[in-house]
Amino acid sequence: MIAKPRTVVSAISILFILTGCGSHVTLEPPTIPAPNINRIPITVAVRLPENFEDFTHVEDVLGSEEWTIHLGRSNAVFFTQLLGYMFDNVIMLQADEDPEKYDFDALIEPSIDAFEFSVPNQTKTDAFAVWIRYRIKVYDRNGVMVANVPISAYGKSLTTTMGGSSALKRAAVLAMRDAAALMIIKFDDQSLFASLGNPSTQLPAVAEEKVEDEAEAQAVVLGGSSNE
Amino acid sequence: MNKPTVIRIICFTSVAALMSGCVTSRLENTREGTTGLAEGESVVIMAKSYHLGNETEAKYIRCIEDALGRGPKGMNVISNREFVDALFPWFEPRTAPAETKGLAKMMERPGVADKIKDMGVRYIIWLDGDTEKVASGGSLSCAAGPGGGGCFGFAWWQNTSDYDASIWDLNGLESAGSVSANVSGTSYLPALIIPIPLIARVQAKACKGLAEQLQAFIITDDAA
Repeated sequence: MIAKPRTVVSAISILFILTGCGSHVTLEPPTIPAPNINRIPITVAVRLPENFEDFTHVEDVLGSEEWTIHLGRSNAVFFTQLLGYMFDNVIMLQADEDPEKYDFDALIEPSIDAFEFSVPNQTKTDAFAVWIRYRIKVYDRNGVMVANVPISAYGKSLTTTMGGSSALKRAAVLAMRDAAALMIIKFDDQSLFASLGNPSTQLPAVAEEKVEDEAEAQAVVLGGSSNE
Repeated sequence: MNKPTVIRIICFTSVAALMSGCVTSRLENTREGTTGLAEGESVVIMAKSYHLGNETEAKYIRCIEDALGRGPKGMNVISNREFVDALFPWFEPRTAPAETKGLAKMMERPGVADKIKDMGVRYIIWLDGDTEKVASGGSLSCAAGPGGGGCFGFAWWQNTSDYDASIWDLNGLESAGSVSANVSGTSYLPALIIPIPLIARVQAKACKGLAEQLQAFIITDDAA
């Protein structure tokens, strides 16, 4: 059956009105430049969570429009690139894959604790800002957690003549670059990974940097929702 | 040149002068060491970190980069993004040294000294500051109907551009000095049916002034 032109026009108009109240931004996976660091000479297995393959965050701006940022595979690409630069050998595992099948020195499991962004309407400035809090868990080859590190990254970009969506994308990329810089700094002290690469060395105590209050972690995502 | 052409030029210049608002500017510099730029040496423009509350616009950085490369004292300028990417992650907003005393440690990072040498970067110029609307007033209203439309009223606003540039000499890993530009201007928008904007191009003036000061600061007459 062929729809009448009036029906088609009405449907398109309704769709236009419904989508007219929100902004949707899709981020292409970022390219992280090769960092100026010495690679850590061990083999790590990396298990990325499922939502790193398709991540979306919606922010309801009070009294204004709804903003949606679709990161897609950006997180997966970002961690694959970064960890590939940081370690001599990297084994990428599926989210549900058993790591025991592989021979490695350490297992790294990143995740997203919180994601948030602000738009100029909220802050009364010309800036878009993005906050991402990743959590990096590191296990030894026996499955014992040896580190649990939060990485709180921030990116900010001023609105340009290209419009708000390009500024929001730039802020997200800057937040990811900030996360990369923080991870490199936090893992720059190679004693943890050096001991993981040498089984005869006694393992250090669990290096855990927890957020003071779990409520704080939840508070960060207030006003928005993600498929975390 | 014939008479009509001269009249046209005078009219054009008069209109252009009338179309711009009033601007006042103050440029200062403080020297801490001798400067100069040898063949093959370059400069790079960086914005101070937004983690420290700085909001220098990317547009202003590009303007300074372009202006520094022009004129009789034009110098080779490495693009900000190229430099930051090449030295990743040591010049990110979070990791970039805030003071010259952090430069020595930075140079010890793997590959950093070699890349800076390969690019020929002699000076890093750190920009701090922004352009803000500091005051505004007046009222302007516009209306449109079947018979046409128009505006009536008068509006004005004052912008101030306040920028500081700190010059770090990578040869001695020390500060060479600083240059500052403070430009203030008021724009007017009178409207009698048609609005006539008289814009004070404050940021552009701050860019041109600061770039000229930087050129004169780095390439001294003795060195030029």
